Amino acid sequence: MEVRPDIQIQVILKALKDVILPAVDKENKLAQEQTHLAIGTLQLMAKFLPIAYRYDRDELDRYVGLSRNLIAQVGNEAGGGAFKNLETIAAHGADVLERARAEPAEMEKAIFDLRATVGELIEAVHADGDKAAQASVRKLVLAAAKPELERERAVVVDMGWETDPSTHAPLIEKQLPPLKA
Amino acid sequence: MQVIDKNNPSPEWIASLRKRFPTEKEMDRVLTRKLQRRAGPGYTPIGLETFCASLQSLLRAELKDPFEIRDARWLSGGASKLQVAFKLDWNQPGVGRTTTPMVIRMEPAESIVETSRLREFQIIKAMDGVLPVPPVYWIDDEPKYFPYPTIIYGFAEGVVKPSGAGSNVSGLGINFGPELRKVLSKQYMDQLARMHTWDWSKANLSSLDVPPIGKRTFEMHLNWWRRVWEEDSNRDVPLLRLAANWLEDNMPAADRLSMIHGDWRAGNFLFTEHDQRISAWLDWELGHLGDFHEDVSYILRPDLGHLAEDGKTYLYSGMMTREAIYEAYEKATGFTINPKTIKYYDVFHQYRSAVIVIASGYRPARNGKTHQDLLLTWIMGFGYLNLDNLRKMLEEVG
Repeated sequence: MEVRPDIQIQVILKALKDVILPAVDKENKLAQEQTHLAIGTLQLMAKFLPIAYRYDRDELDRYVGLSRNLIAQVGNEAGGGAFKNLETIAAHGADVLERARAEPAEMEKAIFDLRATVGELIEAVHADGDKAAQASVRKLVLAAAKPELERERAVVVDMGWETDPSTHAPLIEKQLPPLKA
Repeated sequence: MQVIDKNNPSPEWIASLRKRFPTEKEMDRVLTRKLQRRAGPGYTPIGLETFCASLQSLLRAELKDPFEIRDARWLSGGASKLQVAFKLDWNQPGVGRTTTPMVIRMEPAESIVETSRLREFQIIKAMDGVLPVPPVYWIDDEPKYFPYPTIIYGFAEGVVKPSGAGSNVSGLGINFGPELRKVLSKQYMDQLARMHTWDWSKANLSSLDVPPIGKRTFEMHLNWWRRVWEEDSNRDVPLLRLAANWLEDNMPAADRLSMIHGDWRAGNFLFTEHDQRISAWLDWELGHLGDFHEDVSYILRPDLGHLAEDGKTYLYSGMMTREAIYEAYEKATGFTINPKTIKYYDVFHQYRSAVIVIASGYRPARNGKTHQDLLLTWIMGFGYLNLDNLRKMLEEVG
């Protein structure tokens, strides 16, 4: 999927700085200030977005650590009901942390590498493969493309390229597997 | 695995692409230049004063008599080039002192459709007298005067859509309404026929290669877009690999060569509202020599039309039904349309469109190379509908 927040924020910033800000009335102080704030906020978002996941994981790690220390040192009597709650929630936090291993950037790179290597295989089979192998590649690639494109079309549906609502792909929230409870 | 840095292309990688996808000489020059410049600076805003100063330099070199540039203003529309309208007071050869409205059409640092200004200049000049086209005056291809390659052409009167009609950002989906549609669709088809039956062999089209007639007519052109995919794409798309291989394996044999516009649709012609005449065909940057089926298939694209007022009949190009287009075209040209060849080009057009919006929408925006990167990333969203159309077509053709 090419339509992603990293490039979207970058191009919005460029449009704001190169086209919109110079056109904002210099005498309209509120509009000037709001435009500068919009640019500044987007710059912050662009900086934070690539590290957001790592930042949250680090924060979770720290809170799991703090909770464990508190549980070890405060004791059941002093903490009351909150102690029990903290034990449960800290265990859940530790479980989430355990599962949160790969970074989004790693995930994206793994997808890129797989796409590229699948592409190489398609070319190799086209050049040298027998008819049966070519037919298998064709069947599998076409079958995989259908759900992939349903997801992509659903993400950009609000852009309005598809004018007939009866042919829209199911909502993206319904297509993605649910979060683990 | 080996990763190619497409934002800083190496000479070896560029050479490998040129070898792998041999294409027309002029397109090879343009695409190679694009890659060689890619690691250079992005696009920075250029003011009207800079445009006018560049124009002054060009005109001083071209004109002997005094001249004056006035009323310069930005034109909107299109996703690929920068356009400025102005008026020139000058001593026009064969006319005398006069004021001529003109347009500067300049490339950005890298474009969603990287093409040749020389080719565009030559084709428009050649089409003068064949079709309504704006006059072209000067070209700065190297460029010597403007920051990027530029042509100067005459400002054509007219509008792309009726006053008050809607369409989306790229001018697609224009609804002319039943009365105007009837008048324009006849001209639309007649002029397509005129272009396809025109004898191009005597025109100065030195920037176009003449492909061989027969099974390999389309090979160089297909290679153009395969190469662009490799040059510009961000992620690989297995479906597009499959499509490119299918296109390579199933190229139809052409029995004649016609001038192909490559983007013959509503939004790319102007018409004058008072007399309902098409006044100018624009956007010749995809022009080349090829099989007439290519343009006929293009006007039959499922995503360039809309439903008629009855809510049931689909109007291709916003003009006519498929059957009416076939009939009008065959009658006007004397050619016979081969539906199987149309199918081939249907697949090609979905492929080309996906290459343009997904690959070449991404790469220049990624490197801040255009005056409207935001529009490019918006248009990328169209690519998923393209790909889905392509998937369905590939399933159909077996």
